Amino acid sequence: MTTPPQPSSNLSAYLSHELRNALACIHQFGNILLEGLAGELTGEQREYVGIMLQNSSKIRSVLDGALDGVPGRPEKSTNKIERISKLET
Amino acid sequence: MAKTKTRILVVDDNPTIRKGLGVRLRANDYEVLFAEDAISATAALVVEKPDLVILDLGLPGGDGFVVMERLQRNDRLSSIPVIVLTGRELAGNRDRALQSGATAFFQKPVEDSTLLFAIKKALDLSRGELRFDQ
Repeated sequence: MTTPPQPSSNLSAYLSHELRNALACIHQFGNILLEGLAGELTGEQREYVGIMLQNSSKIRSVLDGALDGVPGRPEKSTNKIERISKLET
Repeated sequence: MAKTKTRILVVDDNPTIRKGLGVRLRANDYEVLFAEDAISATAALVVEKPDLVILDLGLPGGDGFVVMERLQRNDRLSSIPVIVLTGRELAGNRDRALQSGATAFFQKPVEDSTLLFAIKKALDLSRGELRFDQ
């Protein structure tokens, strides 16, 4: 992890980069476990990984609102593939 | 003859992100190549000529915009679709990435299904396999 910046103007950029990367790792490997890509889980293990993923989604929603002014986003977001949509029309 | 797998270059300076994307993409039958900075990404593009690039913006040795600029300037490579996957803020990055030639822009973390859908669409578009009504 890099050293936190001093000027407040850089704080949100720093937080966005560090928190989103850490959250992406939790999210990625949680889903990898849940889908059995690293071996089958027991029912109890699946439940616990599911709880972990639910809470990582909550943190993501808070980040979206706090850093980018996006009031949460749906689980299957399509709002950022506008370039593809443009190419289709 | 064995079918050649679609090759995706993952460019990210975070080794854990690279590893996770590698697992996810291989599980979906893609061949995955990796680069950890802008210089090795440019080299991998020229040497390997992947079918698609998943590109982080914050990279050592020049950011993701530098990589896209080099890609656009090279006639052999400019048709390779780029999906930006970054921890950076939306403001100042999303529009610039799309204007720089990115096919799609996502902030981390992205849903696997969303990323895989974007990859398929971008590949279909680059191969001319997508009709206007699809």
